[in-house]
Amino acid sequence: MKLFEYQAKDAFAERGIPVPERRLCATPEEVRAAAAAIGCPCVVKSQVLRGGRGKAGLVRLVASPEEAGAYGSELLTGGLGAAHGVRRVLVEEAVDIGRELYVSITVDPLAATALVLACAEGGVDIEELARTAPERILRERVDLDVGLLPFQARDLGYALGLGPELSGSFVTLLAGLWRVFREKDAELAEINPLFVTKARGDRPAALVAGDGKLAIDDNAAFRQGGAEPSREYFDSELAFRAAVEGIPYLQFDGDVSLMCAGAGLTTVVYDLVNYEGGSVANYLEFGGPNYKKAVRAMELCLANDPKVILIVTFGTIARADVMADGIAEAIAKLKPRCPIVACIRGTGEEKAVETLRAAGLDPLFDTEEAVRRAVSLSKAPRAEATRAETTGGRA
Amino acid sequence: MSVFIDRGDRVLVQGITGAEGSFWTKHMIELGTRVVVGVTPGKEGQSVEGVPVYHTVRRAVADVPADAAMLFVPPRFTKDAVFEALDSGFAKIVAVADGIPLQDAIQIRKAALSCGARVVGGNTSGVISPGLAMMGMFPYWIERVYRPGRIGVMTRSGSLTNEVTAMIVRAGFGVSSLIGVGGDPVPGARFAEMLPDFQSDPGTDAVVIIGELGGSMEEEVAEAMESGAFRKPVVAFLGGRTAPAGRRMGHAGAIVSGGKGSVADKIAALEKAGAAVADRPRLVGELLQRALGAASRK
Repeated sequence: MKLFEYQAKDAFAERGIPVPERRLCATPEEVRAAAAAIGCPCVVKSQVLRGGRGKAGLVRLVASPEEAGAYGSELLTGGLGAAHGVRRVLVEEAVDIGRELYVSITVDPLAATALVLACAEGGVDIEELARTAPERILRERVDLDVGLLPFQARDLGYALGLGPELSGSFVTLLAGLWRVFREKDAELAEINPLFVTKARGDRPAALVAGDGKLAIDDNAAFRQGGAEPSREYFDSELAFRAAVEGIPYLQFDGDVSLMCAGAGLTTVVYDLVNYEGGSVANYLEFGGPNYKKAVRAMELCLANDPKVILIVTFGTIARADVMADGIAEAIAKLKPRCPIVACIRGTGEEKAVETLRAAGLDPLFDTEEAVRRAVSLSKAPRAEATRAETTGGRA
Repeated sequence: MSVFIDRGDRVLVQGITGAEGSFWTKHMIELGTRVVVGVTPGKEGQSVEGVPVYHTVRRAVADVPADAAMLFVPPRFTKDAVFEALDSGFAKIVAVADGIPLQDAIQIRKAALSCGARVVGGNTSGVISPGLAMMGMFPYWIERVYRPGRIGVMTRSGSLTNEVTAMIVRAGFGVSSLIGVGGDPVPGARFAEMLPDFQSDPGTDAVVIIGELGGSMEEEVAEAMESGAFRKPVVAFLGGRTAPAGRRMGHAGAIVSGGKGSVADKIAALEKAGAAVADRPRLVGELLQRALGAASRK
């Protein structure tokens, strides 16, 4: 789960990483008051999980508390914020920037270590840089049991061009980021950009975390307080409802609603729909621990008003006959108006076929055939699809 | 012949009295696997399918020696269970749990590497040599999916495995050994690390790898082919070709990150190394026929 910038910065600050003075605000009046308290100019930053906030106009340097309040209105009560799902903004002191750096901690799966990535240019898209100029990224493996050692941080700091006057601060900062990574069970802890402030008068240059990204491992939620899913972390209402059910779900905007079992198989069905010239309305897995949740799964699919629902499974523990029972129950309960294409195989498949036929479906056994049929139904005019439904939901 | 597990291996099952543990122990034995001893804390003195149960691994192996450890243990306890097996000297361990914390998985792999042990999983169905033995959860009784034969399979996905092995069998082949390395970002064992076993297995003519976006395991197979370390034909099928950038599809490990892991890059690397890459499950069978010729089938 990705956390918001303000949460990442709280985690940073708690572990000794310097962050700008900041206030989290939920109303335009709070934004105005925060700007007055922090002093202007200051920066007003929308708290959203997407990248590219600057380009989208979701971050602004403001000159006065009034301007901060007006911009806060656009973000918290106006169309701009509504379009991007902004619920909160962070008001932050402006930093006198001398240089920008990049630093993050992630994982090296092959070596079975953590991996510190650093770059002498901040604000970079590290994904893009890894493709185009990987030699500009510094890499340092860190053993999980030993932890980050000071010499590793020192060496990175000098390699980034930080002089002796900032070396100690960098070692402290990276030690803090290491603690964030370990203590929060992070998949990624990133500071991008990491500011080096300009020396001014008797104030020497210093390091400040400009932005913060923290992705927490969902599998470790049980030892991280186990917070319930909250709506603000999801890009759609349906994705949130699916998460509450524990059903893996991704929102798309096409015509074919996937209701499949198994991550690998569902991903391939997604590919096959695209190969056949169709488009996917949603990715949904109801296998594994969810194989008795067919009714819930179909409700989510139907909420997309898809042209067709495509069910593909090949289950072992997630028994085919149990899944078919669930699908029959879902059809009886939800009375879907769109056609359903079903391809259910695996343990108990003979009985599953009987159940599906009794529910008015025409079960298939070949994934690619099922995908072709679903895509062709998704291209038929709605009227025709509705006719199919009047023959008993048969696809 | 087989890779990883055969009828000679004595298997210890951790979590043997649980619902999954007891159900699959029964099936492992039915297939011919030599399950000799089980462990569930607090259940010593019981037995499952005639297999004696002990409180701890140390107590179990003191009475009943075993060669391989099969873990039916929930994800949050998997690290503990793997280290318990390593502590008793097990060099072959299969952990099926889906949902092992990432940083636990790193420590598991690190420990396995430093002990010279092989830990397969998590987030896997396990390992099977059809007709001989298995450690894990496979519907081996479905003939059109798990027919014994001479094709080795390595996979990151359980559900996709049934789909692809069905196509291998439909094309007239069968499976020698199948290793599910699992769908996690940091699997205990990686594709390329299993290749030497398939290279030296006289019962394997070719290897099918079932991969997907994310990580670099497919590229490592290509490297092993390029270096000449692996010399048998390879057919690959990869999921997530059309996956949108930056979104995690299905498995935790299925995400492009650090500029690495796109399916296009994987296909390019594999094809350059001489592997045949199928874009649809059905093509896997056809590409195997082409690679091996009709004469050497079965």
